[in-house]
Amino acid sequence: MQKRLRVWLAGLLVTILLLPLGGCSLPGLAGSGKDTVRIAAQNTTEQQIMAYVIQGMIQHYTKLNTSIINNLGSGNVSFNALKNGNADISSIRFYGTDLTTVLDEKFQRDPSKVASKVTKEFQDRYNMTYFKSYGFADTYAWMVQQSYAKKHNLKTISDLKKLAPKMTVGIDQIWQNRPGDGYPAFQKTYGYSFGTVKPMQLGLLYDALAANKMDAILGYSTDGRVGSYNLKILKDDKDFFPPYDASPVATDKVLKQHPEVRTILNKLVGKVSLKTMQTLNYKVDDKLQEPQTVAKQFLEDHNYFEGGK
Amino acid sequence: MKDMGLWSQLIYYFTHNGMYVLQQFNLTFLVSIYGVLFGAIVGIPIGIWISQNRKLSPVIIGIANVIQTIPSLAMLSILMLGLGLGENTVIATVFLYSLLPIIKNTYTGMLSVDLDVLDAGKGMGMTRFQIMAKIRIPLSLSVIIAGIRNALVLGIGIAVIGSFIGSGGLGDIIIRGTNATDGGAIILAGALPTALMAIITDWILSLIEKWLKPKTASES
Repeated sequence: MQKRLRVWLAGLLVTILLLPLGGCSLPGLAGSGKDTVRIAAQNTTEQQIMAYVIQGMIQHYTKLNTSIINNLGSGNVSFNALKNGNADISSIRFYGTDLTTVLDEKFQRDPSKVASKVTKEFQDRYNMTYFKSYGFADTYAWMVQQSYAKKHNLKTISDLKKLAPKMTVGIDQIWQNRPGDGYPAFQKTYGYSFGTVKPMQLGLLYDALAANKMDAILGYSTDGRVGSYNLKILKDDKDFFPPYDASPVATDKVLKQHPEVRTILNKLVGKVSLKTMQTLNYKVDDKLQEPQTVAKQFLEDHNYFEGGK
Repeated sequence: MKDMGLWSQLIYYFTHNGMYVLQQFNLTFLVSIYGVLFGAIVGIPIGIWISQNRKLSPVIIGIANVIQTIPSLAMLSILMLGLGLGENTVIATVFLYSLLPIIKNTYTGMLSVDLDVLDAGKGMGMTRFQIMAKIRIPLSLSVIIAGIRNALVLGIGIAVIGSFIGSGGLGDIIIRGTNATDGGAIILAGALPTALMAIITDWILSLIEKWLKPKTASES
C-alpha cells in the first residue's frame, strides 16, 4: 500500500512540476519569461515586417529577449492577445479599425478626432498605449487590371456603376459587414451594388484578380502586389474610404517594466512613409525575401535610427 | 522572379534568407525535442509502472489513445485557451501526443523481456529493483527508443502546425508561402527542411535503437 502511495505521489509531483510550463522559458526559446518582449503580428506582410522592425530595434538597443507571435488571424485576435497578456506589443494597429471593432463605437470620418478618441479609450479601458503613426496610412482601394480599365474606360469608382450588376468582385473578409465604411455604407454612398461579392483572405485577392477570376478587388493601397501585378487603382471620387494611420500599440505593463521600449517605439514614429512601406512589402511579396531579412536591411540602411534621424 | 524556375527561385530564397531559415529550423527542432523530452520523462515511468500493475494498463493506454484521436489543430486550440499563444502551448501539445507511443512502447518492451532471463535473475537473488535496473530496462531500451523515435517524428509535424497559434518555426515559412505572390518556392523552402529534419532524426534514432538492441555474447 505504501508503495502505491509513493507512485501516486511521484505522478502528482511530475504534474505539478509541469504546470508552471506556461510561465517559464526553456533554454533556447524566448518563451514568456519576464525579460521577454512579445510582439504580436497578424498574417499580413506589412504586420510581419513591422514586427521584425520592432524586434530588430529592441535587440539593437537593449538586452531584452524578444519573440514574435506570428500569423494571428485578425486585428481582434491580436488585440485579445495583448489584453490577455499573451503579447506585449501589437506591431500595427489602425485607429479607424479599432474604433469600430475593438471599442465598438460609432463610425467617425474625421481622422484626427478618431485618433484622439481611440488613443484615450485604449488608455482608459485597457491600459494600452497607442503610439503615434509610423507615417503611412492604409486605405482600402478598388483595383482592376489595366486592360479592364482601358476597355471600359475606368478612372473612378463611380465609373463602375453601369458595370457593377454583372461584375464579380473580391473583398477583404472583414469589410463586408463593417459598420461605417463597409459594404452596406458603400452601397449607399455610391448608389450601386455588385453582382457577385466574394469575401476572401487578402493575400488571395490579388492572385484571383491576376488570374482573371475576378473583375475587381478591394485591396490595400500599401500592398506591394499593386506594383507587381501592375494594377489600376480606381480613384475614390466620393472620398468614401478614410485613411487608416498605422501605429504600434503596447501594453502599459511592458512600458512600465521596460521604459526603454517606449523610447524605441517613439523612434519609429514618422519614419516609414507610404512609399517605403510599399517598397518593403514589394520585396517580401514579390522578391522572395523574408520579412525578417527585409526589416534587418531597412534598419541597417537607416542605422537603427540612432540619434533620432 | 517569375522568369526564374522553381529551383533557382528556391536557391535564391536560401541565399537571401539563410539565417532566417536556420533560426526557424532551430526553433521547430527545439519545440519538438522539448515536447518529446517531457513526454519521455513522464511516459517512461508510467509505462514501467503499468507493466507492473497490469490491471491499470488498459485504463492508461486508453486515455493516451483518446488523446491521440484528437486532431492536432484542435488540441492546439484547446490548450491555447489555457496556456495562451506561443511556443509553450506547442510544447505541451507535443508532450501530450508523444505520451502514447512512449507509454505503449515502454509497456511492450517491459513485457517482452524473456521470462527465462527474469527467472535467472530471481534465482540469483536479485531484488525487484535490481531486476528492473539490470534486466528489464536494459533489455527493453531499444523498444523504448523506438517509441521516442515515433514520438519525435510526430512532434516535428505538430511543431510545424504550431505556427497557427503564433509559435513561429518552419511552419511560418510555409504559411507565408501560401500568402505570397507565386509562393511555390517559399512553401518548398519551409517544407523541405521540415521533411529533412524528420528523416534525419528518424535515421539517427534508428541507429541508436540498433546499437541498443540486446545482443547475446555470441552475436557481439
